[in-house]
Amino acid sequence: MIKYVLPALAAGILAGYLNNNFGTPLLNTVFSEYTFNLSLIALLFLMGMLFMLDEKAVAKMREAKFRILVFPISVALGSIIGGLFGGLILRIDLFASMGVCAGYGWYTLAGPLAGQLFGLEWGALGFAVNLLRELVTVVGASLFIKLDKYAPIAMGGATTMDTTLPIIVRYCGQDTLIIAFSSGFILTMAAPFTITAIAALAR
Amino acid sequence: MAGLLDVVMLIPPLIAGMVVGYYLRGKKLLNSGKLLLGIILMLIFSLGFSIGSNAELLAIMPSVGFNALVLLVMALLFSILFVKAARKLVGV
Repeated sequence: MIKYVLPALAAGILAGYLNNNFGTPLLNTVFSEYTFNLSLIALLFLMGMLFMLDEKAVAKMREAKFRILVFPISVALGSIIGGLFGGLILRIDLFASMGVCAGYGWYTLAGPLAGQLFGLEWGALGFAVNLLRELVTVVGASLFIKLDKYAPIAMGGATTMDTTLPIIVRYCGQDTLIIAFSSGFILTMAAPFTITAIAALAR
Repeated sequence: MAGLLDVVMLIPPLIAGMVVGYYLRGKKLLNSGKLLLGIILMLIFSLGFSIGSNAELLAIMPSVGFNALVLLVMALLFSILFVKAARKLVGV
């Protein structure tokens, strides 16, 4: 699948870049908003349907129950502690480092919020860290699955409820749909609060 | 910025799909894999489009790239390690 995903991503970036310079804002709205949202909704519908059709996947999920909550909690802790160590390595502000990593891949949130709470240069870093997190998950899921069956869910963070969900289900298996979606959903909900809480601790 | 409302909006289509899937149990869907791949590629293309058309985002990448890379690698490393450890602990 990666041999289709990578060209689609590259073509999208190139098309968006060219359109931004030579094209019309209308095309941007069509692709960045309408096509994006419609394909997301269609995808979630289709994946929910395929999940219920797969009786083995449903049985596996019933068995796991509330234990699936360990995923978002571990990813949140791992991201924040990773941010702490990253800050130590780079010798930069530790709270701000943890704050930008607490975006869990949600770059449209982490960028502006980190900019507001920690200062503009941190907004740029918040954008970059979290955008790269999403891209690395899209591109690297097939590779990192070798480390752990659920490594792509850990990598995807908040994005596992939407953009990276189909790729994760493809590589981790149909039975991981609910784990990935719920983990992404909880992390998405948690991101604004954890970033703000870390900023509050810094003062 | 994508609002929290947009996030909640993703739940109804998922639930609707699950309800339809529940009633179609035992049936084999033809070509669902191809359809899925088609929609995935559309989503990834439009994701790329929104990144490519964000000039500010592209402009800041080189200046913060190295720091971002280090923070990202550490966040990914610890996320994977913690998930691996937690799975062993609770047995998922």
